[in-house]
Amino acid sequence: MERYTWTLRVSTARKDRATVFVRQQQFTVGAPVQFDAAYDAITALEYVLGAIGADVVHGLQALARKRRVEVDHVEAVVEGELNNPLTYLGVVGESGHPGLERVSVKVYVASIAPAEEVRRLWQEMLDRSPLVRTLQPAIRFELSLQVVL
Amino acid sequence: MDKPILMGAVLYNPKVSVIWDIIGEFFQDNGCPIDVVFYTNYELQVEALLKGHIDIAWNSPLAWLDAQRQSGSTCRAIAMRDTDRDRVSYLITKKQGHIKTVEDLRGKTVAVGAKDSPQATLIPLGLLQRHGLQPGRDVQVRRFDLMVGKHGDHIGGELEAFKCLAAGAADASALIDLNWQTWTQDGTINPNEYTILATTELFDHCCFTVRADFPSQRQQQFLQVLFSMSYDNPKHREMMDLEGLKAWEPGRTSGYGLLHEAVEQQHFFVGTTP
Repeated sequence: MERYTWTLRVSTARKDRATVFVRQQQFTVGAPVQFDAAYDAITALEYVLGAIGADVVHGLQALARKRRVEVDHVEAVVEGELNNPLTYLGVVGESGHPGLERVSVKVYVASIAPAEEVRRLWQEMLDRSPLVRTLQPAIRFELSLQVVL
Repeated sequence: MDKPILMGAVLYNPKVSVIWDIIGEFFQDNGCPIDVVFYTNYELQVEALLKGHIDIAWNSPLAWLDAQRQSGSTCRAIAMRDTDRDRVSYLITKKQGHIKTVEDLRGKTVAVGAKDSPQATLIPLGLLQRHGLQPGRDVQVRRFDLMVGKHGDHIGGELEAFKCLAAGAADASALIDLNWQTWTQDGTINPNEYTILATTELFDHCCFTVRADFPSQRQQQFLQVLFSMSYDNPKHREMMDLEGLKAWEPGRTSGYGLLHEAVEQQHFFVGTTP
């Protein structure tokens, strides 16, 4: 197989902002992590967690279309936890690291299809998901599916 | 531009760093840059202050005493919040219980916060001692050592102590007046079920601490900016609300006597250096 590579260009913008250029698109990323609820940008960590959720909900929806399983709506609640956020802030005397320790993804699927059918889709989606397959061996990754009518 | 003043602060929750970011920006904008160094506990911060790694420490009352103890009483308390002054702690009990006076606690159990919490442990146990009750001998103490090293900044110990009282595993619990006010308002404590059994004398809480050799000109520069914060200025108010004050006051050391007495009587620093 020929190797396929994605290339993004990332450039510092104004204070604590980075602009990401990808294909003909671009987006802005804030600080790596922020603890201020009123912070006016999306952090790098939030983009990662958002990307995981998007990978899962979109993956499931796309697969449902392909397999002709009727799915009305897919929604995920993603939670992430760092090993020790105080180490990100450089707190003297803290141990651990600022990396992700745990990610939880709770997925809710609205579908009239038999639950078994949706579960088969779910399993196939997990097998095919680039982000799930990347992160699952590396961190505590908690995935759950709930089918609702 | 002047070299930034190095400020030490103990951090138990990453959210608290936001307050220091805002304060740092305020000082920067007012021509007195500060760099904040975070510590995981007050012992490390006091050590850093006395070794000259930082210029100013935002100290708990116990850390102030520790700095004085280790420096031969040469440090200065240069500023504090209005809300750091004249605090009290309470021993509370169930209204319908059998405890009506402090003396009734003889042979009973008192729940307190972390072992290094001035407001939830040391000073309330000092209150018992003032009433002739020796903790551990005359009164059983249930201590909730949450986040030791943070000197009770984290309210978890006080909350666990109250839960212990609520569960019937203690006959009284200790907490600072500010938490009593908050928790009786937000429903954590039902004021119809619990009552204040005893109130400590007044004591002071945190203070900005400097070494003896911190230049007075730098101190003045710092204090001038600090005291320029005004609660009437909407731009300052958010910062002051986050830090829990309405005005900065000059530092004073007269409010640490009660804690000093408790620390001495409970041999808190025995076995530590120097």
